[in-house]
Amino acid sequence: MASHQTGERPGAGEPVRSPPSGSAVLEVKNLSKTYARNQVHALDRINLTIRDGQFASIIGPSGCGKSTLLKIMAGLFPPSAGQVLLTGTPVQGPRPDIGMMFQQATLLPWRTSLDNVLLPIEIRHGSRAAQSRRGLAGELLSLVGLSGFEKAYPGELSGGMAQRVAICRMLVTEPSVLLLDEPFGALDELTRERMNEELQRICTERSATAFMVTHSIAEAVFLADVLFVMSSRPGRISEVIEIDLPRPRDFSVTTEPDFGKIVHHVRQQLDLGAQL
Amino acid sequence: MTTQVTTDDAADAPVVYEETESLLDRVPRAVSITVLGLLGLGIWQAAVSLELISRILLPGPAETFGEIVESAAGIVARDHVFDALWITTQEVILGFIAAAALGFGLGVVVGETKFGQRAVMPYLVGFNALPKVAFAPVFVAWLGFGINSKIMMALFIAFFPVIVDTAAGLASADRDTVMLFRAMGASRWQTLRKLKLPAALPFIFAGLKTAAVFSVVGAVVGEYLGGGKGLGELVRLSAQQLRIDRVFALIFYLSLLGLALFAVIGWIERKIVFWHRADPTDVASA
Ligand SMILES: Nc1ncnc2c1ncn2[C@@H]1O[C@H](COP(=O)(O)OP(=O)(O)OP(=O)(O)O)[C@@H](O)[C@H]1O
Ligand SMILES: [Mg+2]
Repeated sequence: MASHQTGERPGAGEPVRSPPSGSAVLEVKNLSKTYARNQVHALDRINLTIRDGQFASIIGPSGCGKSTLLKIMAGLFPPSAGQVLLTGTPVQGPRPDIGMMFQQATLLPWRTSLDNVLLPIEIRHGSRAAQSRRGLAGELLSLVGLSGFEKAYPGELSGGMAQRVAICRMLVTEPSVLLLDEPFGALDELTRERMNEELQRICTERSATAFMVTHSIAEAVFLADVLFVMSSRPGRISEVIEIDLPRPRDFSVTTEPDFGKIVHHVRQQLDLGAQL
Repeated sequence: MTTQVTTDDAADAPVVYEETESLLDRVPRAVSITVLGLLGLGIWQAAVSLELISRILLPGPAETFGEIVESAAGIVARDHVFDALWITTQEVILGFIAAAALGFGLGVVVGETKFGQRAVMPYLVGFNALPKVAFAPVFVAWLGFGINSKIMMALFIAFFPVIVDTAAGLASADRDTVMLFRAMGASRWQTLRKLKLPAALPFIFAGLKTAAVFSVVGAVVGEYLGGGKGLGELVRLSAQQLRIDRVFALIFYLSLLGLALFAVIGWIERKIVFWHRADPTDVASA
């Protein structure tokens, strides 16, 4: 575990570097966001870099600006200042090489699982292209243990199953970058652990770069190569923690002392932020 | 470590939970409907038998039923009641279709565009506050005593709820899903067609059901105030002759017309909006 305190000079100066493991895929540079409508200063000079194949988690108190950051990174709305670079080019709108997932599965209830998975292809390349990828979508569904549920409607799935369909929908366009906003926040603990292991397997298999917002310290530490801790009002990155627990990790790692140490440290940082 | 979870005296007695549903709710549906109906008829018959109200002004259930049967025979034989019913049916259905189309179109404009929301909606709200029935003579002046003025009246009364429900339905699409569509690079048209419109369907159907009832009202009011040859005119004439039993029979057929339209819409809704939870006001599926 290596950690960099940035609290003394919040957000200013050099972007915080993680050890050179690959080229930078996502770079956030001096990013600030003020919501004009209510003058909420949601993000203040955020700097971060995520390298190729890295899994980054971000954790922080509610309302500190995590979702705002993620949505700006996805090109869903513009920052007030600063910029986001995706593989070197500035993000100025939605990009096809990004896959997204939210806390709710956001499946369309009038479409079967398979048709939900095919939705991004249908939108980008039309129905015919979507039809030609049915095989691929079916494979994705069986990859997450949902073979036999291709024709099921979301109303017939459990929360965990629906979230797995959402994972497939995110993966079907083979995005190189995954942006996840509390993807498993609505699930029970056991399902959540299983989904975490599944997500880890998928990301390793595809060597995808991922950025995940979470409220669970254990989840953040379990999944991440690098963990950003945020403090609120205005939202800043208060600490960057490198997590070098060996991979692949399974949930027995959570009982190990190293894991406990990191979790303890993160909790202290969050409590520290809460006192400010 | 043990945890005490039972109190001593209840420890060995098996606990039987009482069914909490009230006695009234446990009665089978067919029985409760029949009983309630008979009760209503009984009160009606009693009011007539006890001469609380003059027989001329309030015919009893039996006479009314007799009149309904008699008219039914006439309708089957295609007499003047049949002709009137057919005319009113046309007015209601055409008025409804026009209201549905206009309401849906304006609803999409109001729900989808800032212009619609800011500029069009205030006029529509103001319009809705007008006493619409008062326009009946105007429609007669414009469109004559035939069915056109009644179609116009039905349209006029029925289209507003479709606008409101369509616009509300479009706005009901889940915010994260809208974000997701944006992230997938969906065009505005794609978002509308693949997300917002399907999400709006339950609302739109609710609006259409209201419009169905309103278009019957519109057509009949149009006939009361603008003559013509529909059922409304027959009702007016029968009332003038103090044939209240016939009035009741005709009103019965009018409500059948409304119910039929309502039922057809409900049937289509259940076919199309299969994913939506059951609607508690949906009589057919209870
Ligand atoms: N559309 C918006 N308009 C105005 N203010 C907003 C908007 N969205 C978010 N905010 C404000 O920006 C701040 C950050 O919100 P954001 O949703 O990014 O927080 P978050 O860290 O994701 O919180 P949570 O963990 O609860 O999801 C909040 O104070 C919120 O009030
Ligand atoms: Mg959030």
